[in-house]
Amino acid sequence: MASHDRLTTNTLTRAELVAPVPLRPIPLLRVNGLSVSYGPNEVVTNAEFELGRGESLALIGESGSGKSTIARAVLRLLPSSGHATGRVAFDGQEVLGISERGFRPLRGRAIGFVPQDPAHALNPVRTIGAQAHEAAALLDEPDRAVRKRLILETFAEVGLDNARRVYDSYPHQLSGGMLQRVLIGLAILPRPTLLVADEPTSALDVTIQKRILDLLTRLQHDLKISLLLITHDLAIAAERANALVVLKDGIIQEAGRTASVFAAPASAYARKLRADVPALNPDRYAALRDTGIRALKTGAGATPKIKVSAVTKTFTVDGKTLTAVDDLSFTVPAGTTHALVGESGSGKTTAVRLLLGLEQPDTGTISVADEQITGRSPDELRSVWRHLQLVYQNPFTSLDPTWTVEHLVREPLDRFGIGTRKERDERVREALADVGLGEHLLSRKPQALSGGQRQRVAIARSLVLKPDVIVLDEPTSALDVSVQADIVEVLLSLQVNLGLTYVFVSHDLALVRQLAHTVSVIQRGRIVEHGAVTEIFDNPRQPYTRSLLASIPSGVAGAAHLPHPRLRQLATAD
Amino acid sequence: MRGAYLSYAAKRLTQAIVVILLTYVFTFVVVSILPGDPITNVLRDPQNGFTEDEIKAIVAAQGLDQPIPVQLWTSLSHFVTGDLGLSMRSNRPVTTLIAEVLPSTLILASAAFVIALLLAVTIGYGTQFLPKRFGQGLLRGLPSLFLSVPNFVIGLALIHIFGFQLGLFRVIAPNSFWATLFAAVALGIPVSARIAEVLIANLDNESEQEYAAVARGRGLGQMRLFAKHLLKPSSLPVVTVIALAIGELLGGSLITETVFGRTGIGSLVQRSVSTQDLPVLQAVVSLAAVVFVLVNLIADLVYPLLDPRVKLIGGPKYRPTTADDSSTATSQAVTS
Amino acid sequence: MTLASVSSASRVAAISRLTGLRVPPTVALSFAVIALVIAWSLAPGLFTSHNPVVGVPADKLLGPGTTHWFGTDHLGRDLYTRVVYGTASSVTSALIAVVIATVAGGLIGLLAGFLGGWVDIVLARLVDVLLAIPNFLLAVIVVTAIGFDTTNAAIATGVSAVAVFARVMRSEVIKTRQAIFVEAAFLMGGSRRHILLRHVLPNASRSVLPLAVLQFGLSILVIASLAFLGYGDPPPASDWGLLISIGKDYLKWPWLVYAPAFVTIATVLSVNRISRWLRTTD
Repeated sequence: MASHDRLTTNTLTRAELVAPVPLRPIPLLRVNGLSVSYGPNEVVTNAEFELGRGESLALIGESGSGKSTIARAVLRLLPSSGHATGRVAFDGQEVLGISERGFRPLRGRAIGFVPQDPAHALNPVRTIGAQAHEAAALLDEPDRAVRKRLILETFAEVGLDNARRVYDSYPHQLSGGMLQRVLIGLAILPRPTLLVADEPTSALDVTIQKRILDLLTRLQHDLKISLLLITHDLAIAAERANALVVLKDGIIQEAGRTASVFAAPASAYARKLRADVPALNPDRYAALRDTGIRALKTGAGATPKIKVSAVTKTFTVDGKTLTAVDDLSFTVPAGTTHALVGESGSGKTTAVRLLLGLEQPDTGTISVADEQITGRSPDELRSVWRHLQLVYQNPFTSLDPTWTVEHLVREPLDRFGIGTRKERDERVREALADVGLGEHLLSRKPQALSGGQRQRVAIARSLVLKPDVIVLDEPTSALDVSVQADIVEVLLSLQVNLGLTYVFVSHDLALVRQLAHTVSVIQRGRIVEHGAVTEIFDNPRQPYTRSLLASIPSGVAGAAHLPHPRLRQLATAD
Repeated sequence: MRGAYLSYAAKRLTQAIVVILLTYVFTFVVVSILPGDPITNVLRDPQNGFTEDEIKAIVAAQGLDQPIPVQLWTSLSHFVTGDLGLSMRSNRPVTTLIAEVLPSTLILASAAFVIALLLAVTIGYGTQFLPKRFGQGLLRGLPSLFLSVPNFVIGLALIHIFGFQLGLFRVIAPNSFWATLFAAVALGIPVSARIAEVLIANLDNESEQEYAAVARGRGLGQMRLFAKHLLKPSSLPVVTVIALAIGELLGGSLITETVFGRTGIGSLVQRSVSTQDLPVLQAVVSLAAVVFVLVNLIADLVYPLLDPRVKLIGGPKYRPTTADDSSTATSQAVTS
Repeated sequence: MTLASVSSASRVAAISRLTGLRVPPTVALSFAVIALVIAWSLAPGLFTSHNPVVGVPADKLLGPGTTHWFGTDHLGRDLYTRVVYGTASSVTSALIAVVIATVAGGLIGLLAGFLGGWVDIVLARLVDVLLAIPNFLLAVIVVTAIGFDTTNAAIATGVSAVAVFARVMRSEVIKTRQAIFVEAAFLMGGSRRHILLRHVLPNASRSVLPLAVLQFGLSILVIASLAFLGYGDPPPASDWGLLISIGKDYLKWPWLVYAPAFVTIATVLSVNRISRWLRTTD
C-alpha cells in the first residue's frame, strides 16, 4: 500500500507542476500504440484506449481478436513467446518497459486479475486458504491472525456463505461459481485500484453469470475500483461498462462511450456484431421461423413426430441414486423446433441420450416417427438412426481427426449402404452445398477447418441421410456469435426447405427465442414450464423461468434490475 | 474417506500378491522351455564331473523326474514359504547364495539411487532457474544424452579416466570406496535421466497452467512461485516412477557389476546363465519382481495421501451444499 | 469465451503446423545420421576398402589417423571397417525387436482396450507380470531360454518391451473408444468392426509411432548390452556392443571402446531426437 500511495502523490505533484488546475485528470490506465506478436505473427496491432478512475471499460471481440492478449500485456503476463511494444501507462507511470522487479509491486497490490476459467485458476494441491494468504501478504499487516480474519471477511463480502469451510477447502471441492467468487475475493483483497477481468463468467451457468457480474459491478462501485472487462458478449459489455472497445483480428474497429457505440455503431463490424447477438435481436429470423409456425397452424404438422411420455431415468453414483430425468413428457409436431432449455445438471444431456436410444429409461416411452425407441437394443435401433440424427455440441471432438471431410460426410451413406457409388458422391456434394461449404474442402481434415466449418461438416453428415428428425445438442455453444448466426440461418432454411423436425437443446434462452417454436424449461430433470416460445417468454409463470429470463443480458446498464422482462424489452427498444 | 482408502489398499495388496505369484509361474514356464534337457546340459557336462549317483540324487532333489505341472506346483508351494530350492550346480540352498551377494548389490544400488535422485533434482529444478539463452537448453538436453549412452560405456569411460588416467581406484579392488562410488555413478546416470525427464515435463506443464499465471498476477516472484506452487505438483508424480527406477537399477547392476568386476546379484545371474542354473535364475527373477511390486505398491499407497486431487473410486465425494452455483456443461466439454 | 479458447488453440496449432514443416536443424542432422547408418547397413562395401575380418598383424593397435579413421584392433583390423560392417546386424536386430514389441504389444493393448471385460483382466495381469520383471533381466532370461545369438537377443529385447506398448495402446484405445466421434460413427450406422478398424485403430496408433521410434534407439542399447555380456553372436561378428566388449580388455588403447561407443551414442541420440520431434509435431 505504501508504495502505491507514494506513487499517487508523485503523479499529483507532477501534474500540479505542469498545470496548477489540470483540465483533465490523468487516466488510471492509458494504452498507446500497443502491439503484441508471437514470433512472426502480430496478434494485436496499435491498440489505444484509456480507462479513468472508477470507470469501467470493456474490450469486446470474438476468438482471435486479441482481447485477452491485451489484458495479459497490461498485466505483463504474456507467455514467454509473446512480445509487446508500445506504451502502457498505469497511474501516469510507464509499466511496459520497466523491469519485472519494478513491475511486481504493482501486481495484486494495484492491479488485480480475475481469470477466465475458475476451475484451473487455483493450484489444485493447495488449500484455498494457503493461496488466499498470498494475496493477504500484500496488505501491510504483520499479524497472521488479522490477515486470516480479513480473508474470511472478504469471502463473506463476495457472497461465500461458509467462509471458514471455503478457507479449508481444496479447489476441486468447490463449484465453478464459488471458485470465481474466491478468485474475485483474492483479487480485491489487497484493495487494488484496477481490476482486470478476463471473461470472468463465460465458463459459468447463465443465472450464475448474472450474479457474478452483479457482484463485480457492486464491488466496482463500493470500492471505487476501475474495471477492465474482457468479453465476447456485446450485451454484457454494454450492460456493465461505461466505455467499449470493439476488436477484430487484433485491430480496434470502434471505441467510445457505451451509449454511442452501442446505440449507433459506426463500424461495419460493430454493426454486424450487434446484429448477431441473439439477446438483442429476438426476431431476426422471424420470417423463416414463422414458416414453421404456419405449417403448425394449418395442420400439416399436427401429427406429432416425436412423442415422449412420462420418461424417468435414474443413475446410481457412489451409492446414491440420482434422478437425471424425472417424468419427462413432450411432443413435437412435424416440421417444427422444440427447445429443451436448462442449465448444467438439469438433465438435458440425458434427455438427448434417451431420445436417441443411447440410454434406456427406467419407465416411460419414447417414439420418433412412429418408431419405438424405448426397449430396443442398439442393433435394432440402427434402422431408426437412418431417420433420426444427432449434431453434437462440440465439433472439435465429434469429427474423427484422421478422416477427410469427404469420408466423414460419406460415412453414413456407406454404413447404411445407400445408393450407388456415384449417387453417394452426388449426395455428399449436395449436403455440403446445403450447409454452404465449397467442394474445395472435400480433401481437408478437420484440423484444417475453422470451428464454424467443422460444425457445418457435422450438420452435413447428419443431413446426408435425409433424416426426418435432427437432435441438436447445443450446436453453437462452442462457436463465436457471428458463426453461430450463420449456423442458425443454415438450420432454419434447411428446416423450411426439407421439412425437418428439430429438438434443440440449449442453455441460451435468447437463442431459443430466435429459432424455436415450442419450449420446455427443465430444472433438476423436471419440466417446470412448457408451451409456445412466445407464450413462455412474454408470460413466464414459474420463478425459475423468470430468473432464467432475467439472466439474459439486455445491453442496457441498469436494465438488469428491472423487474419484468416485458419492461426490459421496452427499455431496450431504441 | 478412511474406509475408501482401506478398501483401496486391500485391493492393491491383493493385486500385488497375485502379480508376484503370476510372475513366478511365468518365469517358471519361460525357464522350463529351455531348448534341450537341463539334466544332460548341465549335470552330464564332463566339466562339472558329477557321477551317475550324484546326478540321480540331484534329479530327485530337484524333482526333475516329475511332470512339469507337478514341478511347478511343488516349486510354487516352496516359494510361498520362502524356500527357493537348491542350486543345481553347487547343490547349496539358493537363499544362501543370494544372501552372500545381496549386501554388495544393495550398497551399489542404494548409492546409485541416491546419485540418480540428486542428479535428477539438480537437472530438473535447474531448468527453472537457468536463463533461457544461457545453459537451460544444455541442461534440458542432458537426460536425452544420458539415455543414449549404453550404461557399460559410462562404466568403461569412468574406469578409463578415473582409474587408468587419474589412478583414483584400481579395478582389482572393486570394493574400495572410489570403485564403488564410480560404479554407482555409472549405474545411476541412466536412471537419473528417467526421473529428470518426468520432472522437467511436469514443471513445464505446471508452469503453463492458468493458476501459475494467476499466482504471478497476485504478485508472486519466480522463486516463490516455484517453491509454493510448482514444486509440489510437479514432484509428486516422481513417486510413481521410483518403482520403475528401482527395476532399472536391478537390471543395470547386471552390467555394472560385470564392468567393475564386482560380485553381486548381477554376477550371480551371469554365472547362473552360463551354467544354466535354473533354480538360481528363477529365484533372482522372482526376487526382483517382489521388490518391484512392493515398491510400486508403496508408491500407490502413499500417493493418494500426498495428492488431495486423487479421488479414490467408491469414496464419498465432498461437496459443500452452501452455494447454488455450478459450472456449465460448455466449460466441461471444452476442458475435457 | 469457451469457443475462443478452442479456436485460438486450433489457430496456434495450425500456425505451428505450417512452421513445423521447416524441420529444426538438430532434427535434420539426426535424419542425416540415420540415413548414413542405413546406408552403412545396406552397402558397407561402398564406405570402406578394408576387410572387416582379416587384419594386418603388423598394423595392430594403431591410433586413429587418416588411413585408419578409428584406429586398428589387436589383430590389426581397421576398426572403422568393423563398425561399418557391424551396422547391418545392429540395425536389423533393433528393427526385429521393435516389430515384435509393436505388433505383440499393440495387439494385446488393442484387444484389452476394445473388448474390455475378462479379456482385459487377463491381458492386464500378463502385462503386469511383464512389467514386474526388470526390463533387462527379462531380456536376459528370455535369451537364456531360447539360446545365445544376435537374432535371439533381438527377440528377447522385443519381448521385454511388449508390456510398454501394450499399456500405451490400451490406454489410447480406451481414450479413443470414449471419444465423441466414435459414438457419432456408431449413430451413423457403423458396426463394431468398422469402428475398431477405421476409427479406433488409426487414432490410437498415432501415439505409438513416436514410441516405436524411441524403442528403436532403446533396443540398440539393450542388444548392445546383451552382446557386451556375450549373449549375441561370437566374434568375428562385429556388432557395436560386441566391439565395445572386446575393447574393454584393451583400455590402454581407449579408441577401441570410444569409437564404436561414439557411433552407438550418435545413432541413439538421433533416433531419440526424431522421436521427440514426431511427438511434438504429431
